[in-house]
Amino acid sequence: MLDILHPKISNINKNNIDINLSEEKIKINIRGKNKEFFTKVGKILSIILPSETNTSSSNENYDVLWLSPDEWMIYFDENKNTNIFDQLYKDISTLNVGSITDISSQLICINIKGENIFELLSSGSPFNFEKFKNNVGSSTQTLVNHIDVILHHKSKNNVNLFVRRSFSEHLYEWLVDSSNFI
Amino acid sequence: MFLINCPFCGERDQSEFSSGGEAHIVRPKQPTELSDDEWAEYLFMRKNIKGIQFERWNHAHGCRKWFNVVRDTSNDKILSVYKMGEKPPVNYK
Ligand SMILES: [Zn+2]
Repeated sequence: MLDILHPKISNINKNNIDINLSEEKIKINIRGKNKEFFTKVGKILSIILPSETNTSSSNENYDVLWLSPDEWMIYFDENKNTNIFDQLYKDISTLNVGSITDISSQLICINIKGENIFELLSSGSPFNFEKFKNNVGSSTQTLVNHIDVILHHKSKNNVNLFVRRSFSEHLYEWLVDSSNFI
Repeated sequence: MFLINCPFCGERDQSEFSSGGEAHIVRPKQPTELSDDEWAEYLFMRKNIKGIQFERWNHAHGCRKWFNVVRDTSNDKILSVYKMGEKPPVNYK
């Protein structure tokens, strides 16, 4: 039986591709449009939300990914500042300036690194990785093996892939299987 | 298969999108004053043109935004893409 809460994902290395489960991450989805929203988020996170399509911004604490013109995803390690969600929620959601949702349980982060990762992803995705692979910091939402994913090019040849928990084991198996053919 | 230029994300494969049917259909202001036929006309009847068609598309597996597309259904050529709420380009009929 598929255990969606604890998908069987183990660390694996094949053909210069490392696949690791990166479970200890907090992910927060934030949405908003007005000036007050941008000011408040900027103040709380000390980071400017990326306004350019398919980019991200980072500081020593957080990574923020552009998802759509009024939607972003923040993610960071569990052991970092843990009350950031409460702070954002209190100053933004409760005042109707925007909307803040903790999606840590919804998504799983799988880290993929190595020289051949873009060939691996391309083999099951309609996305054109040409620009993405040359630009550290790029982010995108697309399909991999028909499954919705959020990709973040964290550092050279190192990508954090976010996928819905219930799809993660299946996608992981596809990644492991497909890395045999790269 | 064809490429669609999402007004927010840029050029992406068609498989990332879902079609939302004909664009620029306006909901009647007073539905209660319409006859059944008029209501059915608004609700169900859609053009199915061989040629230039105005359509709504959703970038379902990307930014999840809706936008409009002018597409020639005979060859899948996309002639124009514009955001929701914007006026359709005048040079197509
Ligand atoms: Zn888009």
